[in-house]
Amino acid sequence: MKNKKTAMFDGLLGDNTVLSSLMVISPVIMCGNTLENAVALIYAFSAITFFSVVLGSFVPKKLPYAAKIIISAVIASIVYIPVRSVAREFFPEVIGRVGIYFPLLAVNSLIVVQSATKFSRMKRGSMVASLVFYILGFDAVMVVTAFIRELFAYGTIAGRLVDADTLVSGLGLPFGGFIFLGLLCGLYRKLRSASGRGENKSGGDGNVSGN
Amino acid sequence: MFLVTELVTLLATNLILTQALGTSTLFIAAGSKKNLLWTAVTITVFTTVGSGAAYFVNALLPDRFADLTLLFYTLIIGAVYVLFLTALYFAGSDSFVTTRKYVHVSAFNCAVMGTLFTITDRADAYPSLNTFVNFVLSGAEAGTGFILAAFILTAAYRKLNSAKVPASFRGFPAMLVYLGLISMAVYALR
Amino acid sequence: MQTKTKSERFIWIDIMVTLLTLELMDYFYYGVRAVVLGSVCAGASVVAELVCLRLMHRRFTADDLTCVSDALILSLMLPAVFDLKVAALACVFAVVAAKNIFGGRLNMIFSPAAAAYVFLYTSWKNQLLMFPEPHVHTGLFEKTGNLVSSASHGFNITGKMDVTDFEILLGNVSGPAGAVSILLLAVAAAVLLFRRSVSAGAFIGSISATVLLALIVPASVTRADSVKYTLVTNMVLFASVYIIADRRIAPKRDYYAFFYGFFLAAFSYILVITTAKENAIVLVSLLFTPVALGFKNLEKHIELTQLAEQEEAAKTAASSAETDGEEAAAHEE
Repeated sequence: MKNKKTAMFDGLLGDNTVLSSLMVISPVIMCGNTLENAVALIYAFSAITFFSVVLGSFVPKKLPYAAKIIISAVIASIVYIPVRSVAREFFPEVIGRVGIYFPLLAVNSLIVVQSATKFSRMKRGSMVASLVFYILGFDAVMVVTAFIRELFAYGTIAGRLVDADTLVSGLGLPFGGFIFLGLLCGLYRKLRSASGRGENKSGGDGNVSGN
Repeated sequence: MFLVTELVTLLATNLILTQALGTSTLFIAAGSKKNLLWTAVTITVFTTVGSGAAYFVNALLPDRFADLTLLFYTLIIGAVYVLFLTALYFAGSDSFVTTRKYVHVSAFNCAVMGTLFTITDRADAYPSLNTFVNFVLSGAEAGTGFILAAFILTAAYRKLNSAKVPASFRGFPAMLVYLGLISMAVYALR
Repeated sequence: MQTKTKSERFIWIDIMVTLLTLELMDYFYYGVRAVVLGSVCAGASVVAELVCLRLMHRRFTADDLTCVSDALILSLMLPAVFDLKVAALACVFAVVAAKNIFGGRLNMIFSPAAAAYVFLYTSWKNQLLMFPEPHVHTGLFEKTGNLVSSASHGFNITGKMDVTDFEILLGNVSGPAGAVSILLLAVAAAVLLFRRSVSAGAFIGSISATVLLALIVPASVTRADSVKYTLVTNMVLFASVYIIADRRIAPKRDYYAFFYGFFLAAFSYILVITTAKENAIVLVSLLFTPVALGFKNLEKHIELTQLAEQEEAAKTAASSAETDGEEAAAHEE
């Protein structure tokens, strides 16, 4: 039987949002190539997901699954409006660069699927704590991915030039994101199995709706 | 020659290989041939109908309310979702239980929503593309691209899940690297 | 099993012999720098392979030396003055990302050399497609000032080649030394086909499609020139032998392999004449991996169906024999 406290941290390590549950992959692949993009996306993802899931927890549990999904998506689309307005103030340039991936964060699996399945079964207090760790799980992967890709693709850290000798520009492109995330995911699984946190799973193991 | 050019265009504008949209949905779809076919068909319906409706949202929504676009797109997809489920229910209540899962998976995801935003962005950049017919056709094309990407993944599915693949990379990580290499070839050909 | 292992090793030896001959030609045209490039690629591949196998808890055997042939194939597609560090990086990429992540030589999906070439094409395109002139020998750490685009590039743009047929045969034109030595490549192809070390179906399919399309949609003024120049440029012959006809990648049956090679070459020919994409055949070979896998799946499906049919037939025969036996016994009684 899994310890409740341990289960709460799952979203960060044991059942990482991106690396284990396969959620919110596309923004990591497409926009996780500079720290500047990463910070803006972390802010948007964290704010939209947190408020949407918390507000969504007030939706009656007896509603049909489809209705709960639609209501969750609508709530996220409404939360997106003020989040975007704030982002326009703090990250005006990044919003243009991130493009369609900014609004797409509002239909991420954590909001649309998990709030209707996993989170709706939890008590509100533990749900919020668990949600925070799921969000931190995404944030951690985003920072690591963006840092490494920016360093080796552009030879910069947060836009500042560093003395990098050989740059692999392809790492900053979508295919570089795919390959890097695949390698990171394999490494994560290796570490997880080494620490005895569960067996390796095969593909498509997450409960996803496809981000 | 025309076919080759069209195929290259389809690959070069493929939402999964070039924009990583709907990658997770693809992984689920490629799980079995039946899943693949039905999810791909359902997503194509969503992208096609959704794109047609998105044209009217774009036409009717004033620029100063641009931030509401996502909300309206969500409502469109929600409406298509309900209509689809209702149609399936009345079409055959026996098969409803088995077929509704494809609708659940296909409704709210990056593949569908990303298609609507991508087509809208393209129409903003090239006003000649801002027609209802183009929106519908682009939606159908995006769905076809999804089917193509799903076939690309299905071809390697057995090998990517083989016991010969190291346990840490078996399945999902190997699929990501595989798609990355194919995406790299598509990028090189562009 | 032993026969299979033996044949795998013989295939590797055959391929290595032909590659080393091409490497010798590389040395003749570009000096010691070309040999060093090949050695660095081979060394980097072996080290990467050793590390990968160690991580997978597998032993390094003689069969794992196939990484050396992949490295040599890549080095022969590069300019002799290509950055050694980047070449080594590409080899590591090939061994790790295109091979061992999928289970190594036991579960090959991509041609490592093609994947490494496309990797370089996407990140170091300018360096990859600029070559020293033949007979310009560069020292180990010298930088060649005068680099030129390849003869293939000129042909793709103008549809002409300003060199004699004799020079083309000897490979005395600008381009990757391994891929332009046509006479040597033709001999290598003949040897490897004769020794069944490459897939005959895939090779013939690839060459047939190129010749057919060069005749139907000529890339030059005359059809003869079109066929001749199309075969010798854009690494068509080299890729047909070492990448498309690679037995690890191509479908097993010659019939399917033919169509795989045919479609791949036809696709790349059309790309060359419509977009002038240099060395398109190598890029397309990576893109056509799912096609090869699809054919292999089909082969497996057919094999299983045939096996099931044979079993069914054997069962029917056994049961009818049993019935006949019972009837005969009844008659005797």
